[in-house]
Amino acid sequence: MGNEFVITVELTPPKGPDVTVMLNKLEGLKDLVDAVNFTDSPSAKMRLSSTAACKLALERKIVPVLQMTCRDRNRIALQSDLLGAHALGIRNVLVMTGDHPIWGDHKEAKPVYDLDSSHLLKIIKNLNKGKDMNENSLNGKTDFFVGAVVNPNVEPLMPQLKRFEQKFYCGAEFFQTQMIFELERLKRFLDYAHKYDGIKIIVGLIIIKTKKMLNYIAEKIPGVAVPQGLIEKVSKLKDEDVEKFGIDFALEISRQIIDRKMAHGIHIMAISKVEDVKNFLNSL
Amino acid sequence: MIVSKKKPIEDISQFLNRYNSFFLIGCSECASLCGTGNEEAILNLKEWLEKEGKKVTGWFIAKTGCQILGTKKEVSKYKDLIHESECILVLSCGAGTQSIVELFEDKPVIPTNDTLFIGNMRRFKEFEEKCKACGECFLAITGVCVVTLCPKSMLNGPCGGYKNGKCEVNPQRKCVWITAFSILQKRGVVDSFYESLLGPKDWSKASSPRNYKAMEKGS
Repeated sequence: MGNEFVITVELTPPKGPDVTVMLNKLEGLKDLVDAVNFTDSPSAKMRLSSTAACKLALERKIVPVLQMTCRDRNRIALQSDLLGAHALGIRNVLVMTGDHPIWGDHKEAKPVYDLDSSHLLKIIKNLNKGKDMNENSLNGKTDFFVGAVVNPNVEPLMPQLKRFEQKFYCGAEFFQTQMIFELERLKRFLDYAHKYDGIKIIVGLIIIKTKKMLNYIAEKIPGVAVPQGLIEKVSKLKDEDVEKFGIDFALEISRQIIDRKMAHGIHIMAISKVEDVKNFLNSL
Repeated sequence: MIVSKKKPIEDISQFLNRYNSFFLIGCSECASLCGTGNEEAILNLKEWLEKEGKKVTGWFIAKTGCQILGTKKEVSKYKDLIHESECILVLSCGAGTQSIVELFEDKPVIPTNDTLFIGNMRRFKEFEEKCKACGECFLAITGVCVVTLCPKSMLNGPCGGYKNGKCEVNPQRKCVWITAFSILQKRGVVDSFYESLLGPKDWSKASSPRNYKAMEKGS
């Protein structure tokens, strides 16, 4: 990741073995964005593996970002899967502790959480030095570019900022934020974050498509706080006007981020159609 | 204490159908505090059994059901009554129940409680889990047990899922890391805490089954 402004999008691998729809989306995104993130069974809903989706992207000359959570694997499986991903050519990893199984479609699952995301970052730094987490030598060094997540929306903010700082010291080279609806909240995080040299920040955004989508995000996505004012504003719109509002809303935030040089990129989350991304980027 | 909860009567009754006479054993420690192994619990069960047409040959409350030798001594006074009973019902935690199994291997021993957790009593008969018995206590550092009280056992601060200080998994509960963080703040140690990384935990210390001999050298 150099100094150019990057655009990434998030794709959720399918619920099932059929990857046709995902591959069609990938084909459409190929020349639009710099990289595609593949989520790791988000909201603890079981889906096709992120690693496999990354490999399919690589085969199509698309730069993938492997999202890896600590929810389902202990320290042995995490390291083993990372080495496997590396062997497949995957280099970008975004680590997170992961949504709890209570949110998902396998609520009875044993939550693993052997490590947290800070530990995992440190482990990846070690793999890059040719060592496992217990300092055993590996037969080579990995070459991962590793990022972490931060949620500037939370209250109180200070515990989150300290974790951000900790992840930075554990080796995070870039940070992706949770979806942002209010620039003020982003700004209070950035004021803190910019003290850290060389840090790259990618701001998470969504393109609101429908009232239902916004309500779903507000209620069902862990760690997302949609401002009440925005929910009310959207609820007063006519249904057919929501889509245009959504694009304009995302554009307004993105333009401010670019004009004010607030961050190094944007990351579009929860996309439904490639066409939306295309319309959005063409207007940017 | 070890917190236990009375099993639903239908869960117990499926084991009891085939027997006609019972001896009941309670425990004066945790199960009594929980109301699952005290005299009242025993007499309620006795009354229910008798209403069902069963015979209760006798009962007693062990001083400390999980202390095997002490319980063995207490039980010996009731040997004959137990001998004439077809089944023993134990009103204690899982540890106390297994003391009795060990003493009467040839007799069916049925627990009437489910053992829930190690916890504290907040108000009368209101219990909160506090400790996972993980074998590697971090309370000196975090003040509250983040291993137990955080659903993700986060050791180094909160995840990104809390909303207005409430836990992602149970919004009725305060995020334990908000509490832990405020303890660190009040003690003036936030910066020193974040100078290093807590953990990862050594789960080999929690690898069951565990034994511990306090009399051994070096312990």
